[in-house]
Amino acid sequence: MTGAVPVDAEQLREQVQHKYRAVATAPKATYHFHTGRVAAARLGYDMALVDSLPERAVESFAGVGNPFELRALESGERIVDAGSGAGFDSFVAARQVGSNGAVVGVDMTPEMLDKSSATADILGLQNVEFRKGLLEALPVEDGWADVVISNGVINLCPDKRAALSEIRRVLRPGGYLQFADIANGKPVPPEALRDIDLWTG
Amino acid sequence: MLDEIGFVDVRIGEPVDTFGGSEGEERARAYEVFGYSFLARNPD
Repeated sequence: MTGAVPVDAEQLREQVQHKYRAVATAPKATYHFHTGRVAAARLGYDMALVDSLPERAVESFAGVGNPFELRALESGERIVDAGSGAGFDSFVAARQVGSNGAVVGVDMTPEMLDKSSATADILGLQNVEFRKGLLEALPVEDGWADVVISNGVINLCPDKRAALSEIRRVLRPGGYLQFADIANGKPVPPEALRDIDLWTG
Repeated sequence: MLDEIGFVDVRIGEPVDTFGGSEGEERARAYEVFGYSFLARNPD
């Protein structure tokens, strides 16, 4: 993982929003990546928990790994979901932390925020909230979170160093960052790095 | 980079074949792209 970005940051954000706007509104379309319950099963999620969630909470999931694999969340913890999308990981987190915990999802795509907020209302979750923002400028106060989760989003940030620094700012001392992301075993040639589709699919 | 930012106790999970069977599989195979879980702690 490096902090340098060989593409225009604003163009990258626009392309990412374009891609994930489609995932929010047309989750059954074909993408470069798996979505929904197929993705969750492939990535090792607790399918009993996943199957207890309504389709609209799962169908737009487009994660690349399982941020709960190396550490399960604990009852009462306060969670920030950095790049919460349609809210799938936030809803999984809400089940793990229980009603004494709290979850704040942050995403930059309005269609994802609309969907996640509506789903939280349908599920009657009083302790889950979604806010608009960037990972590089999280709308969360210093040291609020016990845990920051993220799934396939840090890789899409134009400034990864700023995103990780911001995540550390919102974590309490001793808090955890648990995230999933992709990494390549073979070097990607410079001309391919400038192909913006590679960043979003 | 996690170390440079100040995180400690960094752990990385086993690779997951995130893109297998998807439209993006061929490109993922070309660059050996896999998904990973990461765990890191903010120092006390």
